[in-house]
Amino acid sequence: MSGDVLITQDILAGDFLTIFVSSALVLVFGGFYVGIYTAVKVNLLKGWAMPFGYLFWMLAAYCLYLMGSLMHVNNFTAKALVVAAIGLLLLPHAVYYMQDRVHEENEH
Amino acid sequence: MANSYLTSESKKLATWYFTFAAIIFGAQLLFGLVAAVQYVVPGFLFEILDFSVARTLHINALVVWMVFAMFGSVYWLLPDETGIETVGVGLGKLLFWIFAAAIVVVVLVYLFIQVGPADETTIWFIMEGREYIEAPRWADIGIVVVALGFVANLFMTGIQGNRSGIVTVLMADMIAFAGLYLAGVFFTDNISIDQFWWWWVIHLWVEATWEVFVGSIAAYGLITMIGAHRKVVEMWLWIEVTMLFGSGILGLGHHYFWIGTPEYWWEIGALFSALEPLPLVAMFIHVLYDWGRMQGEESAKGQEESVITNKPAFTWFVLNAFGNFLGAGIWGFFHTLPQVNLYTHGTQFTSAHGHLAFFGAYATILIGMMYIGVQGKNGIKVMNNTTSTIWATSMIVGGVVGMTVALTVAGYVQVLVSRAQMGATWAGYFDGQSGMWFAQGMDWRLAMGVVTFLGFLFLVKDLLSIGKATHHKR
Repeated sequence: MSGDVLITQDILAGDFLTIFVSSALVLVFGGFYVGIYTAVKVNLLKGWAMPFGYLFWMLAAYCLYLMGSLMHVNNFTAKALVVAAIGLLLLPHAVYYMQDRVHEENEH
Repeated sequence: MANSYLTSESKKLATWYFTFAAIIFGAQLLFGLVAAVQYVVPGFLFEILDFSVARTLHINALVVWMVFAMFGSVYWLLPDETGIETVGVGLGKLLFWIFAAAIVVVVLVYLFIQVGPADETTIWFIMEGREYIEAPRWADIGIVVVALGFVANLFMTGIQGNRSGIVTVLMADMIAFAGLYLAGVFFTDNISIDQFWWWWVIHLWVEATWEVFVGSIAAYGLITMIGAHRKVVEMWLWIEVTMLFGSGILGLGHHYFWIGTPEYWWEIGALFSALEPLPLVAMFIHVLYDWGRMQGEESAKGQEESVITNKPAFTWFVLNAFGNFLGAGIWGFFHTLPQVNLYTHGTQFTSAHGHLAFFGAYATILIGMMYIGVQGKNGIKVMNNTTSTIWATSMIVGGVVGMTVALTVAGYVQVLVSRAQMGATWAGYFDGQSGMWFAQGMDWRLAMGVVTFLGFLFLVKDLLSIGKATHHKR
């Protein structure tokens, strides 16, 4: 893992804005995804909203891909970003499942 | 303000900490304004209160007021969580006065002596010179003594009383918080090694122990303000602790990219920095989940009333969930991977991230705790907003967001001109700072700083007067 492997290529000046906006959108879309997922699960939103939640996850994953491509990330960082995207997909499911179990045990 | 409704000595002590924290918060904003003016008018207070001194005071005051408010928050919640009076509260009061007096002396030395002969006497009596923790060594030792006394009180109370999940997490967290400060007390001759240890204080405080502290306070707030189920909240807390420590500790790597540490830190920093936003997303779900659940349970019973018993505090807690996500999450994530950090490092991007992250992740929830203190002091069952609450909240939030946007624009210009086009050269540095967008960014940052300060004045007025308002349920 040497420096010339990690920083493979300079970032083009014209790509910086896209990189900053897409990396911000990763979390904005990610926030919408987990927000909609949670809101549907606790009945603050109707069930039909759930597909929109997954749509936002897909947008977040695309922005992550775009950001990584324009940054010319190396293989290792690309894998780290994939792990982050999958983590974001699974996070609300896992956390809600655990929470709901605790909630049920607490109430019944 | 009278303490007529407070019977717990620990809670009275908490109000002392909150009061002193609010005073230092004001000082932080004032010195920040001086530094912001100096970006626009470089000769302002030249050789009287130079930028280096104003910046030191701005940042140190930030750290100090937050530490005071954190100690106050713990002293506030301990009797509720443990069911007993805080053990060693007399020691706590003594340590409060020692801590406050030490801070006043350090500030006066920063203000009126400023620099020393750059030998051991400077390190011991004037300042150590490392950003954020410039306090001279005598004050360092004092801070360690005060922190250990605070931790001892927390442990003795936790061991003797009911040790809830929140108290257990705080016990583990606060001993790490106190212990990590030791990494910033000594020097080494090699600046890379020195920076290596210095980041243990800065990063591991802010992105590990402070975030876990926020999780604990959020848990306490959700139980006291919306009646969230303790088991559910504490389950959340353990998940958050696992995620925060899991990603935050090795997220330290993103500070080791360019200080001379081995290159494997680039990969470690990249991986864990990518994961660091996940717990912040989880904390965001946490508040939404509990709020939705509790309000839903009330609605199912036919109750249309809000479940929130302290609306100003809850507003700040919700702002914390969003602010943490925005400031630490988004503004952190978009310049944290090494490939892009090569260009953004040391630009106004860092400053934009710092402003929104410290405000969003910490200031918000600590202000919320101050409102919880006011509610308890005045014996209010359901505390509602006042006009000043709304002005304070909107102006402070608007001001900080405005500063962040202005600094982001300025940082973007620096990235493009100073780094991408001119290759981080001496000429590039000055060209980046002389452009119209950078200059206007600094103008807008100053304007938004003034808005923030005016909002702070409303906040002080509100904290002093909201308890006397008649529209609360008592």
